[in-house]
Amino acid sequence: MLLALFIALTAWLLSLVFPWWSLAISGLVLGAILGKSGKHSFGYGFLGIGGLWLIQSMISHINNNGILTERVANIFSLPYPWLAIVMTVAIGGLAGALSSLTGYYCADVFLDNTDK
Amino acid sequence: MKKAGLKLGISGIVTALFFWLLSVPLGPAPPLGKFWNPQTGFWANTQNVKRTDHKISVASEALSDSVTVFFDQHQIPHIFASNNHDLYFTQGYITARDRLWQMELQTHAAAGRLSEILGSRTLQYDRYQRHIGMNYAAEQALEKLMAHPKTAEAVEAYAAGVNAWIDQLDPSEYPLEYKFLDYRPETWTPLKTALLLKNMTYTLAGSNSDLRMSNTRAFFGDSFIKKVLDISPPLNDPIIPESKDWNFESQAPEKPQHSFTPAIVDTVAPFQPDPNNGSNNWAVSGSKTANGYPILANDPHLNMTLPSIWYSLQLHGPDQNVMGVSLPGAPAVIIGYNENIAWGTTNVGADVWDWYEITFRDSTFSHYNYDGEWHPTTKRVEKIKVKGESTVTDTVVYTHHGPVVQTSGDEPMRSNIPKYHAMQWIAHEKSNELRYFLDINKADNYDDYRQALQHYESPAQNWVFADSSNIALTVTGKYPLKWDEQGRFIGDGSNPSYDWQGWIPFDQIPHVKNPDRGFVSSANQDPAGDSYPYYLDDDFAPYERGRRINEQLASMEDITPKEMQKLQMDLFSYHAKSILPTLLQHVKTDTLSNIHKKAVTELTEWKYENKGELIAPSLFNAWWDELYEAIWSDEYQQTDIPMEWPSRDQVVTFLHNNSSSKWYDNINTPEKETLKQLINRSFNQAILSLQNKHGDWGDSWKWGYINDTDIRHVGRLPGLGRENVFTGGGGESVNAIRGSHGPSWRMVVQLGPEIKGWGIYPGGQSGNPGSKYYDNMIDEWRDGELFPLWFMRQPPTATDSLHYTITLN
Repeated sequence: MLLALFIALTAWLLSLVFPWWSLAISGLVLGAILGKSGKHSFGYGFLGIGGLWLIQSMISHINNNGILTERVANIFSLPYPWLAIVMTVAIGGLAGALSSLTGYYCADVFLDNTDK
Repeated sequence: MKKAGLKLGISGIVTALFFWLLSVPLGPAPPLGKFWNPQTGFWANTQNVKRTDHKISVASEALSDSVTVFFDQHQIPHIFASNNHDLYFTQGYITARDRLWQMELQTHAAAGRLSEILGSRTLQYDRYQRHIGMNYAAEQALEKLMAHPKTAEAVEAYAAGVNAWIDQLDPSEYPLEYKFLDYRPETWTPLKTALLLKNMTYTLAGSNSDLRMSNTRAFFGDSFIKKVLDISPPLNDPIIPESKDWNFESQAPEKPQHSFTPAIVDTVAPFQPDPNNGSNNWAVSGSKTANGYPILANDPHLNMTLPSIWYSLQLHGPDQNVMGVSLPGAPAVIIGYNENIAWGTTNVGADVWDWYEITFRDSTFSHYNYDGEWHPTTKRVEKIKVKGESTVTDTVVYTHHGPVVQTSGDEPMRSNIPKYHAMQWIAHEKSNELRYFLDINKADNYDDYRQALQHYESPAQNWVFADSSNIALTVTGKYPLKWDEQGRFIGDGSNPSYDWQGWIPFDQIPHVKNPDRGFVSSANQDPAGDSYPYYLDDDFAPYERGRRINEQLASMEDITPKEMQKLQMDLFSYHAKSILPTLLQHVKTDTLSNIHKKAVTELTEWKYENKGELIAPSLFNAWWDELYEAIWSDEYQQTDIPMEWPSRDQVVTFLHNNSSSKWYDNINTPEKETLKQLINRSFNQAILSLQNKHGDWGDSWKWGYINDTDIRHVGRLPGLGRENVFTGGGGESVNAIRGSHGPSWRMVVQLGPEIKGWGIYPGGQSGNPGSKYYDNMIDEWRDGELFPLWFMRQPPTATDSLHYTITLN
């Protein structure tokens, strides 16, 4: 859980200055330091970025009364507006999960061989 | 270790691939990561305009004083500045804030630069824009704009304002469409304002039927043109009352003795502006109104889009206080009123685009035949940038008439001598319409109005005017001096007598001031009747709207602004009234099925009102369309070449005057059809087609649905428009909503010491699809409601209707 929280927090801070892909840095570094297993780092990596993007998009969605959510869903022919939020979470979550997983394996190979 | 290394390898590759996938555009869709991330992607557009009181500091020398902008509850900005530079700067800044993407897209489209952002799918469109010389036209206009100190100041200040907005934008704040198409705004220039103004000429004065008329003459002969296309319906009611005495000598040139027969070797189908482009305007004098001062009304009919073509605002400066609608991309108010006067517009469909057959010396197009000699052409190289591909270079050949639109193509040449068509078009003239707009914004009276009009050249417009004691209308524009019917057909490019030979003097263009009938009006119909000494065109809008407006105004007394708003919503169809009784008379009632009987009953009881709630307008329109096709399409479809079809009101007149005619026979059948047969057949066909398209007789047949009003996104992005607005109206009704076309702005102004305006357009002030002010006025517009406009005489004190205030310094 700590892994998810740290990833979300650092990725959010990085995103204030750097482009969206800076979240990979959070995933790689924190996956390497805090990842306990492949499943663990993948899952909490997903939760970290997916959760961050969920909160951010929900704030936008609610503040805007869902007007833009519906319009964007229409552009992409999504049958329900909430699928736009699902899409956001899926993209962010997968990006977080994969970078965290890669970070964990990096640590596994290069740092030490003992189980964490 | 080995296994772990393998896992790392796979995971690393998958991760890298995934991030790559998120970073590249997928077909027409934007890169996923860039577009969907909540920090800088589309989610950021839910909050990118601050609608609370705030102060903005722009670069130090940009403004010479501080400017205050008050936003009312409709998000209309009221700009208060202490000098004109600051005023137009702020207009540019605020307009860009609300409409940046639209402004840029429209000028990109005009300039033939869409391929830069959309790729090769728009290359043909861009080529056409280059070939008709849109950039050349804009450069001509720019030269004159910059030569006059006041217009130069206005466009430069406006551009500086737009750029001040662009420069402070973070990419996360770019309008949604930039993110979707994955590009960024570029610097705004005065050339773009020139492009925008010339693009209005393209939209409104891009009409030309020379090729179709020449084809029709070649195919059906002169007698067809005389008997059908020259029909002038008896109900025609010209803009200038026919009692007008034209007390001047015509300076029109002499018609050549032999008429030229064009070879027509290429079949470039010229762009046709939407035939539903039209408008209404009128002004009634104080003698006919309830409070004794004139009332002016205007509703220009254009393609309705989101964001709207119009942006409403008030400009308050040291020498002006003016309110109305502006065109995003140009300074000043285009249609509106100030403390003393009001003005509005409708289009004049004059023939200001002519085609000439050009004979070239050889296929290098370096010389062409003119007046018995070979004259050199000039060439203009157009470079079209294409997204993701290499730049396309296109060379356009110009004669003294103008550009040769097509010099390559699939059509094989019929002879050794290449013959192509050059065009001459009013848009290629050096003109400065902005000078008119700046002057009319500040005008105090009739003399100022006439003075300002002298600077207005194209697209020709019926500028209606009212002050507290006068009403007037001028069929304004720069019209070439022509002999009768010059330019109706393709002309001989080698013969000087086919050239435009000067211009109709300003004092001789049709105008009317305070006529006895107590009102002036226009609805795109014939401006001045047959007695007017100059040839303007043969083809103006059908009489229906104009006649209806004139009859209504003539019968009204003690008029109030509310009644003028009601007249703008008038649904009466002169077209139906003039022909439906004849059609019904011919229906064979004895053999009708139940549904047909029901249809006949609906139509018999119909009062010719195009109401959305009724089924009768749907029946009548379907019936008319089928009948029109049944009469003409068998003959017209004998050939693929584009030809000129008779207009609605001409066909009605033809039917009244000819109970039998060879045109009624369907040439594809052995039997000889009569008009009665066509009428009955097309009636059955109409019911059948309504059943096929809209199911069984029921609510889905109501005109409000069949009228099919979609207000689409201006860049045609799906999901960003408003579909299926339930509307009444029709092309022949004063309330001219037909499909996506209709009153793009409705305005009524009560003149007098307490001048008061009402207005609405089918859209919203914000161009952001994520804003509730993107399309918030559509429902009231549909229902015929006009908002009272808050015309501020001085900066207001805080009230409920004041939404928020911005101070720029």
